[in-house]
Amino acid sequence: PVTHNAPLPPCKRRGPGRVRSVGDGRLEVIEGCRLPVLRKNQENEDEWPLAEILSVKEVASRKLYYVHYIDFNKRLDEWVTPDRLDLKKLQLPKKEAKTPTKNGLPGSRPSSPERDVVRAGREGESQMSKRKAESVSLTTQVPPVTSVPSLPGSTEVTQASVYPSNGTSRRLIPSQPGRKRKANCVGTDEDSQDSSDGIPSAPRMTGSLVSDRSHDDIITRMKNIDCIELGRHRLKPWYFSPYPQELTALPILYLCEFCLKYLKSLKCLQRHLTKCNLRHPPGNEIYRKGTISFFEIDGRKNKTYSQNLCLLAKCFLDHKTLYYDTDPFLFYVMTEYDSKGFHIVGYFSKEKESTEDYNVACILTLPPYQRRGYGKLLIEFSYELSKVEGKTGTPEKPLSDLGLLSYRSYWSQTILEILMDLKSDNGERPQITINEISEITSVKKEDVISTLQYLNLINYYKGQYILTLSEDIVEGHERAMHKRHLRIDPKCLHFTPKDWSKRGKW
Amino acid sequence: MSKLSFRARALDASKPLPVFRCEDLPDLNEYASINRAVPQMPTGMEKEEESEHHLQRAISAQQVYGEKRDNMVIPVPEAESNISYYDSLYPGEFRMPKQLIHIQPFSLDTEQPDYDLDSDDEAFVNKLRKKMEITPLQFEEMIDRLEKGSGQQLVTLQEAKLLLKEDDDLIREVFDYWTRKRKACKSASLIPVVKQEKRDGSSTNDPYVAFRRRTEKMQTRKNRKNDEASYEKMLKLRRDLSRAVTILEMIKRREKSKRELLHLTLEIVEKRYSMADFGGEVMAEVLAQRALIKPTYTMPLIPLSSNQFRHQDHLELKDFKPKVRAPFLVRTKRKYEKKPKVLQPSSSVSQQSGHSSLPAFNAKDLNQYDFPSSDEEPFSQMLSGSSEAEEDSDPDGPFAFRRKAGCQYYAPGQGSNWPWCDPGDPRYRYSLTTLTVPHRCVGLARRRVGRGGRFLLDRAHSDLDNVFYGLDPEMHSLPAQSPNGKLASTSESNTSDRPAPPDLGHILLNIKSCRWRHFRPRTLPRDSDSSGLYRGLTRVSMANPRTQTGGSTSQSRTGPGPAPAAALTAEQYQQHQEQLALMQKQQLEQIQQQQAGNAPAALTTQGLVSKTLDSASAQFAASALVTTEELLAIKAKEEIVLGIGVNGVFPPAPSAANSSGMTAQTPSGHGAAAQVLMGNSVRLGMSSAGGTVNSITTLNARHIPRTLTAVPPSALKLAAAATANCQVPKVTAASSLDMVVRENHDQETTALNSIADSTVAMEVT
Repeated sequence: PVTHNAPLPPCKRRGPGRVRSVGDGRLEVIEGCRLPVLRKNQENEDEWPLAEILSVKEVASRKLYYVHYIDFNKRLDEWVTPDRLDLKKLQLPKKEAKTPTKNGLPGSRPSSPERDVVRAGREGESQMSKRKAESVSLTTQVPPVTSVPSLPGSTEVTQASVYPSNGTSRRLIPSQPGRKRKANCVGTDEDSQDSSDGIPSAPRMTGSLVSDRSHDDIITRMKNIDCIELGRHRLKPWYFSPYPQELTALPILYLCEFCLKYLKSLKCLQRHLTKCNLRHPPGNEIYRKGTISFFEIDGRKNKTYSQNLCLLAKCFLDHKTLYYDTDPFLFYVMTEYDSKGFHIVGYFSKEKESTEDYNVACILTLPPYQRRGYGKLLIEFSYELSKVEGKTGTPEKPLSDLGLLSYRSYWSQTILEILMDLKSDNGERPQITINEISEITSVKKEDVISTLQYLNLINYYKGQYILTLSEDIVEGHERAMHKRHLRIDPKCLHFTPKDWSKRGKW
Repeated sequence: MSKLSFRARALDASKPLPVFRCEDLPDLNEYASINRAVPQMPTGMEKEEESEHHLQRAISAQQVYGEKRDNMVIPVPEAESNISYYDSLYPGEFRMPKQLIHIQPFSLDTEQPDYDLDSDDEAFVNKLRKKMEITPLQFEEMIDRLEKGSGQQLVTLQEAKLLLKEDDDLIREVFDYWTRKRKACKSASLIPVVKQEKRDGSSTNDPYVAFRRRTEKMQTRKNRKNDEASYEKMLKLRRDLSRAVTILEMIKRREKSKRELLHLTLEIVEKRYSMADFGGEVMAEVLAQRALIKPTYTMPLIPLSSNQFRHQDHLELKDFKPKVRAPFLVRTKRKYEKKPKVLQPSSSVSQQSGHSSLPAFNAKDLNQYDFPSSDEEPFSQMLSGSSEAEEDSDPDGPFAFRRKAGCQYYAPGQGSNWPWCDPGDPRYRYSLTTLTVPHRCVGLARRRVGRGGRFLLDRAHSDLDNVFYGLDPEMHSLPAQSPNGKLASTSESNTSDRPAPPDLGHILLNIKSCRWRHFRPRTLPRDSDSSGLYRGLTRVSMANPRTQTGGSTSQSRTGPGPAPAAALTAEQYQQHQEQLALMQKQQLEQIQQQQAGNAPAALTTQGLVSKTLDSASAQFAASALVTTEELLAIKAKEEIVLGIGVNGVFPPAPSAANSSGMTAQTPSGHGAAAQVLMGNSVRLGMSSAGGTVNSITTLNARHIPRTLTAVPPSALKLAAAATANCQVPKVTAASSLDMVVRENHDQETTALNSIADSTVAMEVT
């Protein structure tokens, strides 16, 4: 690893693709560069996966680099010290590296704002050129495109660049390209996409997730909270969350365990706890078995809690959007009881009215409770609600990696459970239709088919489709079911679905 | 076994799939390639993320091992747990309630301050505590108020003092501290809040802005552009409907006040009745007192306000009803044509129709109550009918009388300067009058000049009427002066204690001794007077005088017709007179029966009104109550071509030459029923079959009572009502028309001509 001897002023930026020689001939690492970065894998072994530099900041005259490991989930992005960078294999930002397929680096974001950053530094603050034009301007150094300033985002550029005055370039650098991309998005290549929705500048109002990441900018690509303290636990956020900006600089953000209010210090939390008498989520308990309870919270009636919950959840849900208010959602919070109260374990949100059969919008098990079966419990509960409603449902897309794994696991176990329990009536082969599976489980038909496919159960045999259960599958299922001790008991569910369409507004 | 085709059938979700164990199908692998037929379902993940290293590893691990191995799970950032101070931070125990927790709405709204004291504040508060009383909570509340009181501009000390309840010293200390802290703070508020969207839309892309309000825009599905249009239509519909609801509520309120007004009016009327305030003196007094008490407040008393609210109705109705009023109609002033109605009841009360100045409150005001009340039924029926008619057609249109707020209106007659209103004026005394054709005495009448120079005969009722009618006009030609007071000033006194009718001889004596004036036509040719312009012809039938009771008022409009061309031979006339007499007798019998039944009530308004309406028949038979059909029938018999024109401009029939030497005999005064029916502007052209004389009398109907309306159906209804009032309930106006036609056909060829659509009270000139 190569380290810098003479750190440069943080705000000074160099041209893209130019690694400046710093006196003694060493190279400077800037945003957009790619290079292997040391990280420990789960076996605590050293690995040198390729990473992309997203941001650079200087803390106590020591540079820190925000790196994204290519082909690793964003949640593993982190600030690294220069000694973890393998500068010998440094790749300079490529002008063609806009899409993962082009530069053969799949997994990275389709657009690389870093390059904008770099170029912005070279071409000046006012560079507002279209992204399409960037490759040209990169070499020819065209002056800023003048058509942009009329765009709504353009005024923000200055505001945003002024705001972070805390001395680190971490904010200053990303904020500009971020804004720039916004401005570009509005004006240029995102136009066609957006106008097809009829909403040119604002995202769609249904659902809770964004699949169109074109509105993403460098700010939202980087974690902004270092640590959250929630009850007994400290949580390392995985993604950006729009907590009040003044709180993002704190080493620890304190949350009231029950009302989820964010506080800047332990002292404030203590004071808050003298006033906050909640010991459970502020909603109606609709399920309780043992220590597990579910609380239903109306996003319109209990805005404060819903927003606090969303802010916390956003720390762990990449695609979650907090663009709009929480009014059209219900929040089902799963808690575990102990003598201190009902502690939040996870939650899922659900649109009061879904036009697309979604029975879950966002779903999250808080990291301290992950990999202990709670996620599956949440999913199971969501389908129990759908059963009461008499509907089939599916989670809102896109799924995250963990979401996909969890849902596949749930679907597999649920469907296999049915298939294994099938009894033949009169000595004939037991048989079942996909629709029947769907009706029994409330799992949407498409998800049943995809699960059957994924499990490789569907086979074409002698002119017809059959379902086959291999020994591996059966054994694996039995093993998994043996470990799955947390189950939802429908008898403990006290839930009456409301017809939200009959109420004027959610 | 042949190889199956590569492309298999699509998977049918509703088709049963047999479930096999793999071990039961040893040859399954032979068919494995077919699996491709089922298209791969999308995972639901984003493409780039799907390829992520750890996920792929986990997926493959799952597929290989059937479950995840620990080192194959997707790694996440780890964080420590077990905060050591947790138990002290969250003190106390919370017992799980037995029941499921149910949150009461609004129970979460606590009054606790949102601001939480930090370490700096704590130090400050502790320091401050040495000087004055303050608790951390108190401090938090103060800061909370200051923060929430501040917008872009910070709260000033003055404002702070208003905002905070503490004493000034404490406020100053905390305020200073807060100001310092606020200045040092970079963010917008000391209470951290999630960034709000800006109204100008500049925050659209600010990643720190969250929980934006959803705009009112409906969430339309993609590619459905008309959704929005229909949504807007729905919005508009909703707006309109809610407006309609508002209007209906207002109407409800209005109707309620109407009802209240009605009850109040009723009460007043009853009170006044019990006080015997027939002259309106008490009312006037009260009004005057009111005016004194509240000079600035001009809320009118009931009669006025009732009118006012009807006026409102007018305004509202106007917008909805079609304007049917013929524009060329010249309407009389309401005041003017009201009089007969005023007089009808009063005359019947006093048996002597006075025509003198009316008190402040009179039937004119009464007339403005639209609501029927039980104790004035026949009268009010008529009136309400009339007002209904008025509302239907708005007869006065733009000239309709409208009360102005704050104005005091006098009853007609009182303030009016019509010369005949003054009872003392000798020119307008009631005197005995004899007509030229038919040549007979009509009792007390007075002559005055009406509109357009027409002469009107106002008839007065007296107990001596039957005596008068028996007088031979030829007998005495003694223009004598009469002491006018006795009979002329009846209405003022309203007395019923008149001396009993003296005998004939006495009257004759009186007349002969020149006590009473008796106006007779100067010339008395029976069939010779061909002058169409001869004035003051009132045909009075000779029938039974005993029952003649009223009849003075409706004649007040009589006058010479402008085209008095009806001509009859003497023989014809006599014939018809006989027939007429016969009919009238029959009619009389009917009425007598009914009146006998009504005898006790005869003194009430009901009785009075009915008697009053009898005046319609006064032209034909003194006592008979003549309904319209009779009236018309009689005319038909008389072979008069009767044209009732609208406003006098109705063109006469071609044969309407004023050829005959006979004086036209036109009904000079019609009863209400007749008026109403004629008011329907029935133009009856009746030509005599004999063809002897064809003349048309155009009844110039100048004065259109406001009660008479343009719309025939409603007018017919009115006619029916009127006939009912005439106590001839069996005959409706409609049937009367039929009868007219039938009779006309029976007798001669009669044409029932057109029905014009406006109408008229008749003023025969």
